[in-house]
Amino acid sequence: MKRWLQRASRLRVTLWTLIVPPTVWAVHFLFSYLWAAISCEKIGEWALFPTAFAIGTVIALVLIVASGVIAWQQSRTPGDPPPHQEGTDIDRLRFLAYSTMLLAGLSFVAVLFTALPVIMLGDCR
Amino acid sequence: MSLHAQDDPALRAAQEDRLREVWKPPSGLFLRWTDTNNNRVGVWYTLTAFGFMLFAGVLALIMRTQLAVPDNDLVSANTFNQLFTLHGSVMMFLFAVPMFEAVSIILLPQLLGARDLPFPRLSAFGYWSFLIGGVFVAGSIFFNAAPDGGWFMYPPLTTRTDLSGLGADIWMLGLSFIEVSSVAAAVELIVGVLKCRPPGMRLNLMPLYAWYILVVAVMILFAFPPLIAGDLLFEMERLLNWPFFDAARGGDPLLWQHLFWIFGHPEVYIVFLPSIALFAMMIPTFAQRHLLGYPWIVLAAVGTAFLSFGLWVHHMFATGLPKISLAFFSAASEAVAIPTGVQIFAFIATLWAGKVKWSTPLLYASGSLAVFVIGGLTGVMVAIAPFDWQAHDTYFVVAHLHYVLIGGTLLPLFGGLYYYWPLITGKKLSDRLGRIAFWIMFVGINLTFFPMHLSGLEGMPRRVFTYPAELNIGWLNLASTAGSYLFATGVLVLVVDLALSPTRAKSPRNPWNAGTLEWLALPDDEDWGIRSVPLIESRYPIWDQKDFVAKVDEGRFFLPDAEEGRRETIVTSVLDAKPVSVIRLGGPSVKPMITAVALGSVFILTTYHLYLLAALGGVATLACVLWWLWDTAEIPEKPEKPIGHGMHLSLYRSGPAAPGWWAMFITMMADATAYSGLVFGYYFYWTVHPDFGEGFTGPGIAAPMIALAPSLASWALTLIAREVHARGHVMLARLLLIGGAAMAVVGLFAGLRCLDGLDPQVNVYPAIIWVLVIWTVAHAAVAVVMQLYTLARSLAGKMDPTHDADLRNITVYMHFFALTAIVTYMTIGWFPETGL
Amino acid sequence: MRGKHVAIAVLPACLLSACNRHQSTLAPFGADAADIRHLFIIMLVGAVIIAGAVALLMRHAVRAPEGAISHQKGMRIVLWLGGIIPTVVLMGLLAYSLPYMRPRPVAPADLQIAVDGEQFWWRVTYRPAGATSVDSANEIRIPTGRTVAFRLSAGDVVHSFWIPGLAGKMDMIPGRTNDLIVRADKPGRYRGQCAEFCGLSHALMAFDVIAMPPAAFDAWLAGQRRPAQARDGEGARLFAANGCNGCHAIAGVTAPTRIGPDLTHFGSRRTLAAGILPMTQAHVAAFIRHPEKTKPGVRMPSFPQLSDDQALALARYLQGLK
Repeated sequence: MKRWLQRASRLRVTLWTLIVPPTVWAVHFLFSYLWAAISCEKIGEWALFPTAFAIGTVIALVLIVASGVIAWQQSRTPGDPPPHQEGTDIDRLRFLAYSTMLLAGLSFVAVLFTALPVIMLGDCR
Repeated sequence: MSLHAQDDPALRAAQEDRLREVWKPPSGLFLRWTDTNNNRVGVWYTLTAFGFMLFAGVLALIMRTQLAVPDNDLVSANTFNQLFTLHGSVMMFLFAVPMFEAVSIILLPQLLGARDLPFPRLSAFGYWSFLIGGVFVAGSIFFNAAPDGGWFMYPPLTTRTDLSGLGADIWMLGLSFIEVSSVAAAVELIVGVLKCRPPGMRLNLMPLYAWYILVVAVMILFAFPPLIAGDLLFEMERLLNWPFFDAARGGDPLLWQHLFWIFGHPEVYIVFLPSIALFAMMIPTFAQRHLLGYPWIVLAAVGTAFLSFGLWVHHMFATGLPKISLAFFSAASEAVAIPTGVQIFAFIATLWAGKVKWSTPLLYASGSLAVFVIGGLTGVMVAIAPFDWQAHDTYFVVAHLHYVLIGGTLLPLFGGLYYYWPLITGKKLSDRLGRIAFWIMFVGINLTFFPMHLSGLEGMPRRVFTYPAELNIGWLNLASTAGSYLFATGVLVLVVDLALSPTRAKSPRNPWNAGTLEWLALPDDEDWGIRSVPLIESRYPIWDQKDFVAKVDEGRFFLPDAEEGRRETIVTSVLDAKPVSVIRLGGPSVKPMITAVALGSVFILTTYHLYLLAALGGVATLACVLWWLWDTAEIPEKPEKPIGHGMHLSLYRSGPAAPGWWAMFITMMADATAYSGLVFGYYFYWTVHPDFGEGFTGPGIAAPMIALAPSLASWALTLIAREVHARGHVMLARLLLIGGAAMAVVGLFAGLRCLDGLDPQVNVYPAIIWVLVIWTVAHAAVAVVMQLYTLARSLAGKMDPTHDADLRNITVYMHFFALTAIVTYMTIGWFPETGL
Repeated sequence: MRGKHVAIAVLPACLLSACNRHQSTLAPFGADAADIRHLFIIMLVGAVIIAGAVALLMRHAVRAPEGAISHQKGMRIVLWLGGIIPTVVLMGLLAYSLPYMRPRPVAPADLQIAVDGEQFWWRVTYRPAGATSVDSANEIRIPTGRTVAFRLSAGDVVHSFWIPGLAGKMDMIPGRTNDLIVRADKPGRYRGQCAEFCGLSHALMAFDVIAMPPAAFDAWLAGQRRPAQARDGEGARLFAANGCNGCHAIAGVTAPTRIGPDLTHFGSRRTLAAGILPMTQAHVAAFIRHPEKTKPGVRMPSFPQLSDDQALALARYLQGLK
């Protein structure tokens, strides 16, 4: 675990990694929607439900948490306290990391929002 | 050049003379309109969009007058339908989106300490396209030929030529033209934010306005193209009778609704976020402190952008889709309220922590926040699907959307107007008139739209030209009508205030004591944008950096001169804004205007079915584009130049370091998104029709594969050409380009062979194959043009192994072309016939 | 332009009676509309509380002296008020509302009513389980206390079927059939209206809804199954001579046709022209001669050649169809 975290902390957040958590939400959301739509239209019921959906949701949540944890690690790179507004490499890094962490939080909640209908409705009617 | 050199006033005066000369606007009755400077183009753009807003407002007043009493007959049903269609379309396409682009064209270079945006001529092209398309669409109502199918244009009402006339074509083609210019502006703004920041302005120091603009421009890239794809299918049905939305021949009206709302919902946030961005600039100024929670705002902007693409089906809650599908979108529609809440509370917390300087712009900001919160709360309500089944398409939704758009777009813009007017004209507007206008508008807005919640719940559907007295909603409607006149009066007061501005005296520089770069502008504005490009060390450099203003003014930062007599600005790296190069900007030119006229003629002539002339217009457009491009990516007279402080920057970059490469990449992202809209159509028909493709002989597998092979060969040859060219083998690269072009031609004709025996008018299956193939071969044709253009550049000596931007840019295009060819030919060849 | 029309617009006397009882989501007569009203009231209370709280907070924030809160405290406000509390409230609302999306269970024995939207009228077909179907138009009767399944589609363009007092709306889309399952609870006369913009006379596309006690409904439906009680005479002759039977069917009198609304029991309906005009002889006669004056864009051709007497005779004949 520790080694893994060390390796993760060597990854550097950029503008591209910033959008990883919401992209995971988008993929999860789109996949859920298309899968339900096609299944309902073609076979009249939601095939492979709920096992596959549960697995997919857990994977999405794990990916989001992982990117959030990596970002959290990097946002704690030593330096001055928030609000990270100095013109230094470290502050830019910590800003991006902190934003990524926040986005991971929002994406996590958004995936839970997507899962809620499945728990409560879960069929094609 | 050392710092000391700038101590010499004579030197500074000489520099200023040179800068003034270089940035001098063209004069003369006609030539002044060939200007491309962001200051002027932005102002034209803003005024035009403002004019369209007033026009659409008048349309609304006529509607409200008609609805003042039950069973009224002031205007006919026909006129009323044109009125509400144009009101919505003009407010969305000709006011809200262009206004954000216009304001950004003015502000962004100032905020980023740049002399201009990276592609000034593209801005000018966007403006002229907007003007031509806008006048074409809005003017149609004076000929009783305006679109009358609602701003959402649902087929089959709008695609059946017996049910809707020319208006539908005017909407589709006129607004497609404007969508193209919006995408052009998005390209400009993205590259501007990512590549044209001043040295040192790392991502964490960027003004929040720039963050919002970046996010919104990226949203445009993904939101507008699906609508362009939908427009294409729509016009194919209207002009060529291809049955994409005709249920009798396998089409489905719902496909349009999907494509429209995949555009339509992000659109709401596209017009909302830039106005919130204005808040993010104003609030710190009037709280006289840094904005609290900078990363939280970035989170909110990026999060909203993503979530907004997962909301579109909430406009389709009543279309009978499976409940589970609706529930997903209901959930996402609730979730999107979270980032919005974050933004609002970040602003409130900033005001709380700071020392509030009460002022007219802040009055507008707080008023709009109040209006917006009400709209947001009703938004949370209609996002709940069961409630929406009642509220949908009633006046409740009319009330909701106007609260959101007025609170989230219009009033913030008016606040921004009061805030930024001194920046643009050097004069403040009247605080007194501004307050009077605000309070009249504020009362008018609430009197107009609040009763609509109730009239909707009392059973009044939207888009009705009249309603019966028995519904007992006459008094609610009368209140709304009275309110609308009050609202209009407030707008009138504001217009009077603007009109009085020329009579007023200049205000001091930076009258609000703001901390961000744009306030470096002098009351008597110089056209050079900024005297010297500063080194940024803070989010609010005017407040935080010592002697900042004086250093900028005395040219003590970068690029204080224009020795070669060229318009220039600095290009920096994306993350940390490290200086990369100096680019030469296009000066005044008639080319953008002429190109816009040529492209406009294609759309307008097609509306009137003058296909031959439209084709000529297309050829003219191509010629104009090539004529325009021929001057770009020039090889500089020297490899690099000094920018001060002992730094030397390259004058030429190719590949990802160059703004042009990014422009191509971003444009192709939009292109690929439009294409994916068409592919979505193909799989959509397969999903909804169990018998999709049955009973038809498709193109088979062989023909598409035969078309795919040369298309990929053309891509590979171009790629190899780029590599060998970089290694100095110019002749070989030229031969490879010729080979690539030849292969693209072969691919083009082989692609057309896939269509043998398929009649697109019979059924949607052959029709959608036609569209995919036409899209692909059209891209092959463009590939040929690009390859031959690059060849010509090489032969003309405008490209050599160290100056190969053209070749690198077309390689980007070829990547996307190859992807398009693979998806098209794989789809039509292998799916669904082989039973995959 | 506005003066004349606004001048005559005196504030209606109904100022105090906000609600109408027959086309309002706030005056439900069906179970689904009642559920949704309940949901709405809960959300309304929540919205008022939130809007008030935000306004007060904003006022307080603007008036607070400089440095009234520290950076840390400000960030806690953003986190809690902007992030966590909205998340919890919205999630709760979503979870509370999702069960309302479940459609009412329906059995094969339940009455089906097929309704097709046409420009600008409603084609109605009652399909009771195990009995022959009955054609009608522009008026819908349903039994109270029983589940009814509407099967909705459209002939030409997209329409939307909306009876505000009964349930939410459902679109009618060419090439698709959507189900709307409802249950009426209170007998009475109500009104429904097209809610999706469908062309020139979108505003003039309504219908009467009559909820009846089950026994009365069964008797009524049995009556509808009988052919028309048509009288011979001038009106019948004109109906045939002017080709009315080419589009309009009168069961037992004319050959079946499905182009225009079924007129078999025309005289028993309360309104004319899809819920727009009262069913009086003068209105029927006037509508026959110039339908486009009442409904712009109507598909029915006008018959200006008919004299006043002829039009009245035709109207008498049609109103006799009960």
